[in-house]
Amino acid sequence: MSGKIPSAVAGWAIILVVVALFASPVIVLAWSLADPASEVWAQLWQTRLPRMIVDTAVLLITVVLGAVVVGTSLAWLVSAHDFVGRSIIGWLLVTPLAIPGYVGGFVWLDTLSTVVGARGVRSIWLCAAVLVVSLYPYVYLFARAAFADQGGDTLAAARSLGCRPLEVFWRVAIPTARPAIAAGAALVAMEVLTDIGTVRLFNVSTLADGVMRVWFDSGNRGAATELASALTGAALVLVAAERLLRRGARRIRRAGETPLVPRTLSPFRSWLTLIGSLMVITVAVLVPLVRLIDWTLEATRSGQAVTVAGGIGHHATNTLMLAGIATVVCITIGTMLALVVTRRGRAARVVGRLATVGYAMPGPVVAVGVVVTLAALDRRDWLPGGFILVGSLVGLVFALVTRFFAVGYQGVEASLDRLAPSTRESARILGSSSVRTAVTVEIPAARYGLLAATALLSVDMVKELPITLLLRPFGVDTLAVWVWQATSESLWAQAAVPSLLMIAVGMIAVGILLTALERGGEFTS
Amino acid sequence: MSLRLRKFAMTATAVAVVLSACGTGEASEPGESTRQVTVYTGRHYGIEPVFEEFTAATGIKVRFTTGSDPELRERLAAEGDNTPADLIMTADAANIELAAAAGLLSAVDSDVLREAIPAELRASDDTWFSLSRRLRVIMSSKVRVENPPTTYESVGDPQWKGRLCLRPSTHPYTQSLVAGMINNYGEDAAREIVDAWVANDPLYINSDTDILKAISAGDCDIALTNSYYLARLLTEDASFPVALTWPDQESFGTHLNVSAAAVTAASANRSEAIELLEWLATDGQKTFSDANNEFPANPKVEPGAVLAGFGSFVADLRSVRELGRLNPVAVELLSAAKYK
Repeated sequence: MSGKIPSAVAGWAIILVVVALFASPVIVLAWSLADPASEVWAQLWQTRLPRMIVDTAVLLITVVLGAVVVGTSLAWLVSAHDFVGRSIIGWLLVTPLAIPGYVGGFVWLDTLSTVVGARGVRSIWLCAAVLVVSLYPYVYLFARAAFADQGGDTLAAARSLGCRPLEVFWRVAIPTARPAIAAGAALVAMEVLTDIGTVRLFNVSTLADGVMRVWFDSGNRGAATELASALTGAALVLVAAERLLRRGARRIRRAGETPLVPRTLSPFRSWLTLIGSLMVITVAVLVPLVRLIDWTLEATRSGQAVTVAGGIGHHATNTLMLAGIATVVCITIGTMLALVVTRRGRAARVVGRLATVGYAMPGPVVAVGVVVTLAALDRRDWLPGGFILVGSLVGLVFALVTRFFAVGYQGVEASLDRLAPSTRESARILGSSSVRTAVTVEIPAARYGLLAATALLSVDMVKELPITLLLRPFGVDTLAVWVWQATSESLWAQAAVPSLLMIAVGMIAVGILLTALERGGEFTS
Repeated sequence: MSLRLRKFAMTATAVAVVLSACGTGEASEPGESTRQVTVYTGRHYGIEPVFEEFTAATGIKVRFTTGSDPELRERLAAEGDNTPADLIMTADAANIELAAAAGLLSAVDSDVLREAIPAELRASDDTWFSLSRRLRVIMSSKVRVENPPTTYESVGDPQWKGRLCLRPSTHPYTQSLVAGMINNYGEDAAREIVDAWVANDPLYINSDTDILKAISAGDCDIALTNSYYLARLLTEDASFPVALTWPDQESFGTHLNVSAAAVTAASANRSEAIELLEWLATDGQKTFSDANNEFPANPKVEPGAVLAGFGSFVADLRSVRELGRLNPVAVELLSAAKYK
């Protein structure tokens, strides 16, 4: 019992250090709020701001609704029904995660402009459609885990009470899966709020785009920060809403519960389901892949050399190295924080969440927040050997982890939450120390959740662009940077090869993600 | 238990040390033995061969990183005295002037540069120097347009309603064009012109190449883009159906913008940076401007063959040095006019 007080102190120390680390770039930026740039606000309000708010709201609502409808219905079809090619389709439906929004965006922009014209293609609705097909997998994954979690007993009971299949879906499956769907929808909402690449392609002026305009076009860091803070505020409201929907929804799977038994569909419906799923996959993955390959072949045929500084191997290696380091750092710190937080109660949870604030901010804002913070430290010459953080690998990794800490942390926290509290308590009663319980009981039990979070995180890191672009050390050019350089000059053929490589890396990560989820029992095929 | 925690903390520290070691290795690897220069460049298309040629000629290694002009300027500002950058290159006159105004650049006293670059194309205090010239011109469909507009003002003529393509106001090229018009016509007249453009319900496309392809595909009939994009497309396909008109030939001359470079105030390799700058303005001029189909800034250097085919023209030389000062005015004007 004498160990109790130090462990509480140590626990809180860890929480506060991690939070201070990852919230500091945001706090440094928020400092400028003390001196509001009111004349800029007045001007913005008269000109662009109303449009930004409307566009952001329309895009947010459309994409979140679209992703929820597509993701949930596909998850239900695959989880509760048996049809031709079910298990392969179940996997393929996750693969859009591997395709960066800006790549899908430029492929569809180019493809659709031949159909609806260059003017027609630049619409908020098409932008929303592109975002829906690239983001629905978040909802799909969460919903599938939830449906698998419900077990077969409840649904069987509903069926035996005379519920028709659709009624089972609406009255039993959906209400029970609601928290998981909300969690997926919250991820989608964050992605939409912070997206810059896709919305710019389609001329949609969102708040995130506005932050970039005010910052880099008007050179007004103060006003940009204020706008970014407003954006973060909106994101926090969403997070609160998601928490509310999730309330009381913690459900621990009982041992011996019958798994969900899929209902066999009639041949006609079975094929209909297959075709519907294939259409989604075609739009989200197949068309981008085919066009990228086509561009690559065209470039090779016409002898138009696909050249870039350092060569493709250099870019691929850098991408893997950077994504690898950032992911490992993020998961390690995330696991440490989640372990501490889950045993320190509510207050710790709330404080711990502050460390994830970077996820609610657009990448470039995080990047500049990090530059300003680290540059202030650099000026104090506090590191031995005159080491400069800005422009170093450490600075870049720090920024990447700040931006995506939420993805790693929440994944780990959620899988720790799924452990029955009694497991941990038993270990503690048997005299196991806190750290030992973590290493021997909790981490092994949550291993698939950890692996899934790692895979999801590495997909994000591989795709990441604005932070890498602004903060990369000399010589550390990634595939995403190459794609940006080529697409900013509309050189699609040059962008095709690195895009394909990035997708390949992403696909491997998605494969690992699915395997982890399947082993963890969250994804049955 | 606290011992275990300490172990954990030590492991974490070890990871941090390894990480920082990676970073240090990157930063300090080029020692005193090799001369080198570090460049932040907003111009990235075809810049690699130019630097290779410089290294072959002088033995000085070039490290460079790319980004958009304003992003690099913000990074330079945040890094202050610790910046690794010796030279900054922008694709636009306004951004380099804004960097100069923020005290991020240092004047270079060089007879070579003064002789190579005309006075209108360098800062009055020699903090920056133009390296190439590009012009913002009127592009029109050879198929559907017989009499293209000949002034920036007439682009706002109602006959072009629904037929006009423009680049969004986020791009420096648009901002500098409007800054140039403010300098020439005055703020009120410039506002009227921009209002007329907006009234023509333009299709905004954030790529000059895509704008030209949109004209070719029939999505718009006229547009404003930089000269070199057409040159690039014509090199690939000599029959590309877009024609170029030099605007404002009877008045102020066609809007001229530049690629420019400057030595940073905090440069640690100042002599190497000046050497690179001088080389780019003289021996490297041809490679530098041809790489992007631009007109050289040095009048002694001949422009590429495709450019010569565009004929002679009058350029607005008097606005170049004002683009930075007028940039905030232009950004505000565009915003007030609801130019997307």
